[in-house]
Amino acid sequence: MSPRITVDPITRIEGHLRIDVEVNGGAVQDSWSSGQMFRGIEIILQGRDPRDAWLFTQRFCGVCTTVHAITSVRAVENALNLEIPINAQYIRNLILCAHALHDHIVHFYQLSALDWVDVVSALKGDPASTAALAESLSPWPGNSRRQFEAVKDKLAGFVKAGQLGIFTNGYWGHPAMKLPPDVNLLAVSHYLQALDIQRKANQVVAILGGKTPNIQNLAVGGVANAINLDNESTLNMNKLFMIKDLLDEVATFVQQVYLIDVCAVGALYADWLKYGAGVTNYLAVPDLPLDTKGTQFDLPGGTIFNKDLGTAKAITSFQDPYFRDNVTECIAHSWYDGDWDKHPYEETTEPKYTDFNPAGKYSWVKSPRFQGKPMQVGPLAQVLVGFATGHEPTKRWATHALQTAGAVAKAQLSPAVLHGTLGRHLGRAVRAAVISELALQQWQRLAENIGKGDVAIFNPPTFPKGEVQGFGFHEAPRGTLSHWVVIDNGKIKNYQAVVPSTWNAGPRDEKGQKGPYEASLVGNPIADPAKPLEVLRTIHSFDPCLACAIHTLDVEGTELSKVNVFNSCDV
Amino acid sequence: MSEETSENASQRILVLGLGNVLMGDDGFGPTVVTLLAAQYELPEGVSALDAGTPGFDLTPHVSGLASLIVVDTVKLDAPAGTLRLYRLPEIVAHVPVVRASPHEPALQEALLALQFAGQAPAEALLVGAVPELIDVGPGLSASLRAAVPDALREVLLELGRLGRPAVKRSAPLPANLWWEERVT
Repeated sequence: MSPRITVDPITRIEGHLRIDVEVNGGAVQDSWSSGQMFRGIEIILQGRDPRDAWLFTQRFCGVCTTVHAITSVRAVENALNLEIPINAQYIRNLILCAHALHDHIVHFYQLSALDWVDVVSALKGDPASTAALAESLSPWPGNSRRQFEAVKDKLAGFVKAGQLGIFTNGYWGHPAMKLPPDVNLLAVSHYLQALDIQRKANQVVAILGGKTPNIQNLAVGGVANAINLDNESTLNMNKLFMIKDLLDEVATFVQQVYLIDVCAVGALYADWLKYGAGVTNYLAVPDLPLDTKGTQFDLPGGTIFNKDLGTAKAITSFQDPYFRDNVTECIAHSWYDGDWDKHPYEETTEPKYTDFNPAGKYSWVKSPRFQGKPMQVGPLAQVLVGFATGHEPTKRWATHALQTAGAVAKAQLSPAVLHGTLGRHLGRAVRAAVISELALQQWQRLAENIGKGDVAIFNPPTFPKGEVQGFGFHEAPRGTLSHWVVIDNGKIKNYQAVVPSTWNAGPRDEKGQKGPYEASLVGNPIADPAKPLEVLRTIHSFDPCLACAIHTLDVEGTELSKVNVFNSCDV
Repeated sequence: MSEETSENASQRILVLGLGNVLMGDDGFGPTVVTLLAAQYELPEGVSALDAGTPGFDLTPHVSGLASLIVVDTVKLDAPAGTLRLYRLPEIVAHVPVVRASPHEPALQEALLALQFAGQAPAEALLVGAVPELIDVGPGLSASLRAAVPDALREVLLELGRLGRPAVKRSAPLPANLWWEERVT
């Protein structure tokens, strides 16, 4: 029997994601992804006023607050067939862009780069040659020899004091760590600069949203940002230009630092290009609507099957039945009563926990399917759909990224290399570059429209007698998010959120088809079963966020779920 | 907006409520800071924030503070409603484990990352309450409801100790605990 590694919990706090892999001959042979906490937070919404739903949904997850808020108002507006003023679209779009940029930067530098970057090795880096390398890759002014000297000194001070602080628990010196010391030093320097830049992206959300986390400016029917260019307490000229300056700075960092770093690190781990493809059916939804109804978009969405870009089919509007009619969730291997495959409008949530049984039920996460097929969601899906459907900024930035990585790897790289663990990182960086550009265009559109004298921000909703249903979607940082609402006489009757990490982390379905996490692990190398760094690399490349896929209700016993003094981020 | 630059930016103090208001007693931190802001006038440079469960996304809010006060639930072998206080060295002493999701690095990791960047507060106080029940559904248990005034008092004592006392409003503002509203 093959040895089995259980990484439990792979997400320590909110998610309790458990990954089991069977290893044979130094590679993963089989795998299981299990959410260890019951999900069902949507039941809180039953009976409530649909206009308040977004306040609650933005508390589903402490990281993805804005995305659940905006998706919720879109779902209710869809049920009412309610168009919103164009200013409201632009303001929401700017919040979504700034949030996505913040999220992608944090994911790479603070949450996953250290799977590839050996911080301790950075101490052997040479500031002069690091600066020369950095300048050969990018015009970014923050890459001076002096900057690298300062970072190296700071790091040396930490190590000398016998404490690595935030870096204490990395797999330093692991045989799978292969970057040269200069590149490690470069990455540590950018880790610090990224902390500063993500704060600026967050400031944009704060200015427009009134507060972060948990924005205050939404309403079913639009936004609550009164616009008056000359009034200090409204959205005015001064605030608009603060937003533009911040977006400019973030865009420069994304294009000149983040994207370049991902290309360089990816190229230096080129043998990893063959790992982690897994499910190569992709789903993305269009976003950044450009009209009041949601029929034209700045970001493309659609489906691709079997890694064949020729199969690309677009999703074209907020009303598109191609999306609405093809999503189901399956519970064949999930701890719910029964064995069904249902459309979100028809779903029920009846937990029934049995033990972890790899042949039977083994996860709290359901298995979403599109036309019965597992789909990978996330930035890579959107980039591939954009590439396949001829989305100009996506093609341009993807080509730039592949050329940059190819120059470092001394190889010709085609989009086919994007199917995999490193491809998900590259896809995310390409998407960030595209969004950094589109955010400034959205800003321009908003400023011009206000300049024309249009200050409309809200169309009041009216709720009909009887039952209506609606769906709203958003291409969130982790991929396709959809909310589904059934409203009866103006009150919520049913509410379901089908979240990106459910698409990716879900277990097998009734046909035995693995979910994306599971499929992506098969074939991964494992150098040291005691330190399964390679498993983490592949799982982290999806940017798991299990808080909304599952959460912390412990139905096994009376013990409270993980509330830990040191990990206060508990749902 | 938490990042408003005050005249004395290097002396900013933040009172942070952490926890999920949809999950019973986990809403303790947000409840305490919401009541603080409604009942007390905070001096210039001191703000109160219900931050939910932002994980590493705490860093922009904590960066550059002179002092941080956190109200949260803690897991302890003690009766529900017990309050415990922790200082910065105790908060960061715990070794972080391998991280995976954006939620995992939380208060401790945000502080450690900011220490590396030289932007961490010099002081921090965590006011931790032992929860009775963390379960789907908003609203505090009786034990934690009873602990709210004590936690509020600890926050006020700390602000006083830092030389930035909060002043009780003559007419309190309505506390917006919207999550406690019942379904009608």
